[in-house]
Amino acid sequence: MLPQILCSALEKIIAKTMAMNLSGDGSLLSLEQRSLAVSLDELPFTLIFSVSNKEILVGSVPEGELPNPDCHIKSSLKTLKKLKEEQQLTALIKQGELDIDGDIKVAQQFANIAENLEIDWQTELAKHIGDIATYKLVQLVSGLGSKLNFFGKTVQADASEWLVHEKKWVVPYQQVNQFGQQVEQVSNAVNQLSQRVEHLLKKQRDKKAV
Amino acid sequence: MSAHNQEPSDQNSQDGTTHFGYQTVDKNEKESKVAGVFHSVAAQYDIMNDVMSFGIHRLWKRFTIDASGVRPGNKVLDLAGGTGDLTAKFSKLVGKDGKVILADINSSMLNVGRDKLRDRGLVQNIEYVQANAQYLPFEDNTFDIVTIAFGLRNVTDKDMALRSIFRVLKPGGRLLVLEFSKPENEMLNKAYDFYSFSILPKMGELIAKDSDSYQYLAESIRMHPDQETLKSMMENAGFEQTSYHNLTGGIVALHKGYKF
Repeated sequence: MLPQILCSALEKIIAKTMAMNLSGDGSLLSLEQRSLAVSLDELPFTLIFSVSNKEILVGSVPEGELPNPDCHIKSSLKTLKKLKEEQQLTALIKQGELDIDGDIKVAQQFANIAENLEIDWQTELAKHIGDIATYKLVQLVSGLGSKLNFFGKTVQADASEWLVHEKKWVVPYQQVNQFGQQVEQVSNAVNQLSQRVEHLLKKQRDKKAV
Repeated sequence: MSAHNQEPSDQNSQDGTTHFGYQTVDKNEKESKVAGVFHSVAAQYDIMNDVMSFGIHRLWKRFTIDASGVRPGNKVLDLAGGTGDLTAKFSKLVGKDGKVILADINSSMLNVGRDKLRDRGLVQNIEYVQANAQYLPFEDNTFDIVTIAFGLRNVTDKDMALRSIFRVLKPGGRLLVLEFSKPENEMLNKAYDFYSFSILPKMGELIAKDSDSYQYLAESIRMHPDQETLKSMMENAGFEQTSYHNLTGGIVALHKGYKF
């Protein structure tokens, strides 16, 4: 009953998230009684998302037993992540990483709901741990975030120094660039020489023909 | 014969008797005895379901909904629907163009179900009918889906109920029977017996102040036909493409059949 456990968890998470959404559930009106089926390579069953009375319901069916959804998406988890960029949609379909059957607008409307979520996490957290604790936590996380960022950059710079100048395991960028330019020069010279040789060979052939 | 080794008795015994748990009673008596059980447990029915099954009954019911293939606009009969768990979900899935009828022979269970669903704001497409599964008060070919969850084992004449359900289904419609059944594994069977006969009645006494009803629950499960027998009964009633799926090691089974 893994599908049922997953669907139950998803339904609860979605319901909770929609309840916290500051932009409300008006976006669900246009999806009333519509359904979106999602078949992922990683799952042996198909998920069905349907909307009823401004509530998103999640069900599952075994592969190949679809009850006529309005839209059916066949893809994989990593491809879905790429869908964040709208211009990727056509490219992914052409590459065969994404297959859409039915009304694509339904899929887009579901995607818009996720994109347009506005959740005030601080207010939600404050309901559970209080305003002062929330403020302190946010400050702490923000401070930690900056420190980690700085630490990351420092480590990166130091590692770079060590690899290039101390251990000499990595060639500096300028040298790589210079090498690249020299290779290009040699390549151009070879092309010119090759053209010259061909020209001379042609001249010789023409002479023989005469 | 020990209580745990009882075999399901013949439904249509010649002497006009049937079983009520492990007791043999007159057929006319069973209905009122079962009614007594459910009048007693109605108020605590949902809590007891959660406690006894550790919440797993919700997953069994979800599995049933997923297997039903329900669509917007469908007409569904939730038979022996009691406190309306399946009805609540079906109501959302069939939408305003569909209809769900919650039918139960027991008025106390029906009242609890109706109050619960109305408190949840589910009023638009649900109707309530007090009905006996053996004599369904609906016209032929009415429903797209009929479900009966944990109710068939309480019916006096199961074959008659199955024929009645067959009559009210539309051609192409399907019946889903979710019911306790026979575990697949002997060790699980022994653990299940211990749990059913030693723990459940004590839980019933503690929470619902009624150990007898939960003793009946355990006994009625043992007297219910096993998976293959129920499948044959459905076929005899006219259902086709019948199948079943064991859940939780066969402790529960979902049977499905179509009317063509």
